[in-house]
Amino acid sequence: MISQINWALVAPIIAIQVILMIIALVDLFKTEKTNGPKWMWVLIILFINILGPILYFVIGKKHA
Amino acid sequence: MKKWFVLFRKEWLEMSRNYKVIWIPLVFVLFGLLQPVTSYYMPEILKNASNLPKGAVIKIPIPSSGEVLAQTLGQFNQMGILVLVLAFMGIVSSEQRSGMMKAILVKPVGYSSYITAKWMSAVLLSGGAIFLGMLASWYYTILLIGDFPFMDIVKGISLYFIWILFLITFTVFLSSFLKSSGLVAAFTLLLSILLTLLTPLLKKWMEWSPAQLTNAAASLFTAGKIEGPFLIPLITTVILTALFLYLAGTRKSSLSRLG
Repeated sequence: MISQINWALVAPIIAIQVILMIIALVDLFKTEKTNGPKWMWVLIILFINILGPILYFVIGKKHA
Repeated sequence: MKKWFVLFRKEWLEMSRNYKVIWIPLVFVLFGLLQPVTSYYMPEILKNASNLPKGAVIKIPIPSSGEVLAQTLGQFNQMGILVLVLAFMGIVSSEQRSGMMKAILVKPVGYSSYITAKWMSAVLLSGGAIFLGMLASWYYTILLIGDFPFMDIVKGISLYFIWILFLITFTVFLSSFLKSSGLVAAFTLLLSILLTLLTPLLKKWMEWSPAQLTNAAASLFTAGKIEGPFLIPLITTVILTALFLYLAGTRKSSLSRLG
């Protein structure tokens, strides 16, 4: 299965996910307050595939 | 006009400061890329994910390129709208709460230019995100599944974008009207879900519905031409968008609720 995957095809998808993760983490360390503890958001951003960074951006940030 | 551009630039500065300029387009590109890839690998994914008895044969035809693009549109219509509405729900109401709005409006700028600058930047950002996402999806669809005319993509995105324009305008309108960002998102999502659900159910009475534009765009992808009503929903959507923008821009009394 793994050998059949065309990595040239999947690489951009992974790259975008990594970029989103990095942006979310940078933003997380810069902001003072988030909804809920910061360490929880680190785990969510790192370990929930695709949706983690999006979740942080839309509900993790305190809109103030 | 010069003042309007100052407000407009301030909006973009803020959107780049909280990374909206980067992450919203990236999310759309990600969803756009994922759809053709999952359609292409679907037989393999099913083979590996399910523990079928030996000898079971699954035959799933790989969908045509138009169908994959219509699926991408469907994905944008669920996750995309959710992301956009949640990203822009506080566009006015959060500034009202933080006192930012008061600080801006003591300067000689009109309330309507303050709102339209915000509206314009939100519309441009979401339009760019949808366009980039569809373009990415189109590119992968061509690579994996088959050719698809570029002009049809542009037409389809334009039609779909008018529906998004309507929803963004509604978000800005509610955001200037309500104090709670959460309520803004809840009402806008409710409206979008109701329109998308009721439009195919009550076909006869919902010909005017803005959600028809999504169906028109999807049929343009799958059948190559627009099926069903198109002109009436286009007109009602444009009128409703203009109306909501006007209502959002003229609500000066919201200032009095600040304290």
